[in-house]
Amino acid sequence: MPKTDDDVLKTAAQCRHYAMCKIDYLGTGLCPPGKKYHYVSYYPQGRMDLYAALEDGLIPVTEGLVHIAESCSLCGVCDLQCHYVTGLRPLRVMKALKEKVEAFLKAGGKPEAAAADEPLRRLRGIVGPDWATNDPAILVTYANDPFPLADLKMPRYVVLPGNRDELVAVVRLANELGLPYAVRGNGASVFGFVFSEGIVLDMQRMRHLSIDPDTWTAAVGPGITSFELQQEAYRRGLRVNAAEPAATACGNIVCTGIFSPWSHAYGTAADAFIDMEFVDSQGGVFRLNDKKSPNVYAFVNSVIPAPGICTEAVVRLHPMTEDEDGLLVPFWDFDQAVSLARELGRRRIGLAVAVVGIHYMASFPSPSQGLADRLKEVLPETLGIRYAVFAIGDRFARESIRRLAGTVIDSGLWRTLTLGLPRLLDPEWRELAAGFESGRPPYEVLCRPEMRPLLEAVLRPSPGTIASAVEEDLRQAYVELYSQERFSDMVWLNMFRIQSSRMSRRKHMFAFLIYLPLDRHDLINHINSEFDRIARAHAIDHDFGFITPLDNGKRAVLEYDYYIDHTDPSEREKVRRAMAEIGPWLDGLEETDKSVTSIKCVFSQGCSRKENFLYR
Amino acid sequence: MILLTGGTGFLGAHIAADLLGSGERIVLLARSRRGVSAADRVGRLLDWLGVPAGSRGNVEVAEGCLDQPGFGLEPGPAELTDGGISEIIHCASNTSFAERRRAELEAVNLGGLERILDLAERSGCRRFHLVSTAYVAGLTSGDCAEKLVSPTVFTNIYEETKCRAEWIAVERCSKAGIRLSIYRPSIVYGHSETGRSLLFNALYYPVRTALFLKDLCEKDIRESGGKKAAEMGVRIEADGWTVMPIRIRAGDEGGLNIIPIDFFVRAFRAIREDAADGGIFHIVNGRPTRIEDIIAYGQTLFHIRGFSACPAQELEGEPRNSLEKVYETYLEAYGPYIRDRRIFGTERADPVLERRGIRCPELTYDIFKRCMEYGVQCGWGSRLFI
Repeated sequence: MPKTDDDVLKTAAQCRHYAMCKIDYLGTGLCPPGKKYHYVSYYPQGRMDLYAALEDGLIPVTEGLVHIAESCSLCGVCDLQCHYVTGLRPLRVMKALKEKVEAFLKAGGKPEAAAADEPLRRLRGIVGPDWATNDPAILVTYANDPFPLADLKMPRYVVLPGNRDELVAVVRLANELGLPYAVRGNGASVFGFVFSEGIVLDMQRMRHLSIDPDTWTAAVGPGITSFELQQEAYRRGLRVNAAEPAATACGNIVCTGIFSPWSHAYGTAADAFIDMEFVDSQGGVFRLNDKKSPNVYAFVNSVIPAPGICTEAVVRLHPMTEDEDGLLVPFWDFDQAVSLARELGRRRIGLAVAVVGIHYMASFPSPSQGLADRLKEVLPETLGIRYAVFAIGDRFARESIRRLAGTVIDSGLWRTLTLGLPRLLDPEWRELAAGFESGRPPYEVLCRPEMRPLLEAVLRPSPGTIASAVEEDLRQAYVELYSQERFSDMVWLNMFRIQSSRMSRRKHMFAFLIYLPLDRHDLINHINSEFDRIARAHAIDHDFGFITPLDNGKRAVLEYDYYIDHTDPSEREKVRRAMAEIGPWLDGLEETDKSVTSIKCVFSQGCSRKENFLYR
Repeated sequence: MILLTGGTGFLGAHIAADLLGSGERIVLLARSRRGVSAADRVGRLLDWLGVPAGSRGNVEVAEGCLDQPGFGLEPGPAELTDGGISEIIHCASNTSFAERRRAELEAVNLGGLERILDLAERSGCRRFHLVSTAYVAGLTSGDCAEKLVSPTVFTNIYEETKCRAEWIAVERCSKAGIRLSIYRPSIVYGHSETGRSLLFNALYYPVRTALFLKDLCEKDIRESGGKKAAEMGVRIEADGWTVMPIRIRAGDEGGLNIIPIDFFVRAFRAIREDAADGGIFHIVNGRPTRIEDIIAYGQTLFHIRGFSACPAQELEGEPRNSLEKVYETYLEAYGPYIRDRRIFGTERADPVLERRGIRCPELTYDIFKRCMEYGVQCGWGSRLFI
């Protein structure tokens, strides 16, 4: 076999399993074999895992692996898709995997065939010969995640049911054979909880999606991603409250409930849907609107299993208006930012609202990690911005926010800043901007309308300017992306969550999510400072993520993020030690203060009414 | 042995070089920065200041931070006292005007001073020199005497903390029997004879801003059709001079009290050596510079037209372009210094300086030219230590 290229292996090992290669979010196309064969193994994500597994000796060259390698035409679609959010260049991994397999075959190697056993034969009898397998090359791509606290768990079978009845039959068969099973909505789970030594069910093939424009609802199969659902809704002038774009809509609802800045207006958990269909652990089917069904709307503050496998969700869609646009209200002081967010909640102003921290503000608009790192320094140091209230609303909402807040970065200015970002970091300009400092932070001056011509002259915003921040061979592709208005459109970027994975570009993210009262600055600051203290104690990169008002600003969901290199055992160990502190601390906090609920227990209770976990 | 804080700052570095030139032995308490150790930073500064190799043996560098307990020194500040500190010159301070940095300023300008005073008491130090600022006088006009003051309003947090620092130093030195000298310079710029400087704010900021904007607009005109420049009213005339229509609010009286670094160093040395009993001393310019003169100097030197100083009432209700906004913002921060009607008394400092024939030079066009040309040449400091 060809000699291993360490850089290629490093790239392969760095795959974060965000599955952005499984959705056509850039409009540049989708990996053709992935689209055809559905198993995650055929997508770049799976091939990255396969290359690393092959190098680590976890799997032999199998017939499945040969097929996977040969099906890749090296079209390169994945390179830009992956780079846009992670900075990684998977194409060379795809190439290296093909070369390895080719060399193996050329040297007379015989790929191993995974012998079908009786359970597999029966599974194939249910779903068809192509949609159940025990080929190690496929199994291994469902065996791990970059989650630092879980080890590899190889399943015996991976099954892709095509419809509800097949799923029912698979569940019943699993019960009959005593095989455990787990569902991975889109073949991935960043939380790392979803593994099985028995069957992993990948719902990729159950892709029905129909929109009812009269009721503003969409009936969604479990293989439909949030991105795909949003696309369909958007085409009809509607919007869904969607979380991460590559996550499946059903999986997201069942798992954590959908929370995002749009939860400010659209709610969370049971607010997301009007009905759902499940296959329970015995293979029975129930719908939530049936009075005899289990009460999944209730919430218990303990870790319990999901009500079943979701086979359809009828989700709420929301109307859009043509005058929607975004803005940012910059802040130096966190409490002031939180107060504004709460005020917007209380007054029901806007559709999406969140206080975001410096890490998100720097990472999201930056197409390269280097730019993000520098921006993270420049925003507070030069411009006096440490936090921002991000908001989307119609013109009335924006006008209200402007009146409440005073200084705002509107969408026009944001576009100027985004497309001119590399020049915002110019040292001479930074010194000039720093000189604006007086009793008021410099951003107040920069946001004044009269400053726009100067800013535009300084930044010279254009697709070419922003594209200059990426590697030379990708610049033209980035110019083409940024030439499309939507790539600097706050509403589009946010409702599709195109850039949110950029938060984990430097290192994989480990998120802590907490529901809490938004008027309790002391509590919020205590939680943030504890996360900060523990992270520092264990030398873990960390940052405040966001906080979004819920239920008219009475409560909120807060995200605090730790960042680790999941390929570095010492970093995994750090998180392990940190978790030993965080677990008891959060449990104690929840026990003594009923207004605090961590995501740990909401997990698998995402269908519950939000009021049941917000007001325990 | 003299302990000097802020030895990597503009004033501190020049004082350090002067002390070394006089054969003094000094310990510099300095921070590392951006991966450059304190010792390396000091070394680079001494090179820049032209301190001969023979004098370098008289300087020790202690890498520490004023805002940390024990200055963050390992094993502890005792090493500073072992050599027998006879005098402390406290130059270090955070000079930010930003209210949002209040905690940092208080930590350095007040907390740091307290720590240095703790050290002074422990080390048996007999003299304490506090480099303060003339602007502890606060927002006022008229006579400002060389005595402790308690203004009610300050221009910014920097002035406020420096004023509070003076009170702390007086109280603690008095209790500990340490002779205290407080030096109150006005705004310090580069060397009047060589134009060299380490710091390019205050006087330099409006000039470098004008040049930055000029370059920006000229580039827009040359490379992009000049639309943005036109929106800002900027054009290049046939003789190559650039017109920048910028009206700056200016008062009928007052000016900018600026002193060159060479004058400050000589004045500091004279007061330190000759006023052994201590006291408060203004180190200022008897003839403040008018904003109109700075505008004229800058326009001549850099071939610019269009800047004008206007009375505030003439600009009332007038729309302002973005260039004017830049200057207006600058004036929000520096206005009280530019249209300064404070008269800093020099009854204590004058006799000392006069005895040595030390006089503050007026900012002439030649001095201005030297200083600005040096600024341009060194990229306003960005190319100083590369």
